Amino acid sequence: MHDDTADRHAELVAAALAGDLTAAEEAELAALDAAHPDMVAERAEMEALVARLEGVDAWDDVQPSDELAARIADAEADGAPVPAPAAPAPVVSSVHDAGLGGAPAPATAAAPASLDARRRRRRLLLPLAAGAAACLAIGVGIGAAAFGERPVPVVQGPPGTLGAVEDVAFVDAPAGLAITGALVAHTWGTETVLTIDGLPTGEAFTVVVVGEDGTEYASGAMLGSDVTIDCRLNAAVLREDVAAVEIRAASGAEIAHADVVDV
Amino acid sequence: MTIAMPRRTVGWGRMRERPADAVPADAAAGAGFDAREAFAAHGGALLGFAVNALQDRPLAEDCVQETFLRAWRARASFDGARGSERTWLFAIARRVVIDVHRARARTPRLVPHDEHPEPIAETTDPLERLGMVEALARLSAPQREAIVAIHLHGVSYAEHAAATGVAVGTLRTRVFYALRALRGILDEVDTTDA
Repeated sequence: MHDDTADRHAELVAAALAGDLTAAEEAELAALDAAHPDMVAERAEMEALVARLEGVDAWDDVQPSDELAARIADAEADGAPVPAPAAPAPVVSSVHDAGLGGAPAPATAAAPASLDARRRRRRLLLPLAAGAAACLAIGVGIGAAAFGERPVPVVQGPPGTLGAVEDVAFVDAPAGLAITGALVAHTWGTETVLTIDGLPTGEAFTVVVVGEDGTEYASGAMLGSDVTIDCRLNAAVLREDVAAVEIRAASGAEIAHADVVDV
Repeated sequence: MTIAMPRRTVGWGRMRERPADAVPADAAAGAGFDAREAFAAHGGALLGFAVNALQDRPLAEDCVQETFLRAWRARASFDGARGSERTWLFAIARRVVIDVHRARARTPRLVPHDEHPEPIAETTDPLERLGMVEALARLSAPQREAIVAIHLHGVSYAEHAAATGVAVGTLRTRVFYALRALRGILDEVDTTDA
């Protein structure tokens, strides 16, 4: 087929697949189909392909952040067979150490002594990472192990530093409820890390991030559990615009809140 | 095999190094793997795949990080004669994303509080969807943009032409060749997974 003819045929096939042909174009496509039956077969395959596209209802165009590039640079260390640095405090250990009465602080994970150990830890991390933006209700024993495997913060800095973990204190919680939390500033919003004991089993609770102008940003929801709840939630508000984080009952009543420092 | 490398005081430069005793020079098919360049060239597409597959940016970023970690570890197995670096990285990313997708499927899910709490049956095979998302991610940006507009968002060619300033005929041809490329990628993915 001549290139111009092939391109025209391709153009008309694409239009036909989208139901975008005029009557004149339909006639033109029929004539081209008659002369080039191979394109008819390809069009049939493309029709099936377009039908398969229905399984993807939207597309989010994203760009990698500098933070991700930095993380990958740091991950390079995992490929090196060297003793890990002296174990920094895992995120949740520091939260527990805030002494708010939650589950006993887990033993700090020992520094992996070898690459294999680091790899084992990494393998454990990935399924845990799968729970990001999800809440895990975990038994005390398992929970302690999981806390020890929490990703170690790779970024240090004052509140508002991208990727750095910032402990926050929840206050006004009812007796019997222990909440410890932290925030992580991201380019795309603010992540809240929560560990909660004592929420009534089966009841629903929401987490709301309150902006400095009073705007409320939904961050997620959870069910109370009789075991420790380990949550990571995200809100579409930049850390610099956050004034507080609130945990609320399904009725909307505030359960506890944490005011955060200005950044 | 022991790979003697200095501690992590060196950043990207060290990832580009190939320790002399790591892989024999003549077998070091992956010796040219430069993680920083690879991330600059393919990081966006890989992140697009992971974000759209998992619909969770933090988790997707973890997947991209894991992809480059695995690539770095397996760099000696990369053979540019058998396929492009981009194809190789996507093959790794596919396994990472599928692992995470399966792990997440076994994990209690967080849902927006105003979302219906009852489980919603999935009518699409999740692996089928992942394959399609990967194929879309591997298209060129203009091709993907055109397909997304026309076939995902249901925008007409005339509307998309008005929005982008690209002629209708050009957009139609672009979508045709995008669909052809999409089919080729899906065939490759299916073959790889077979």
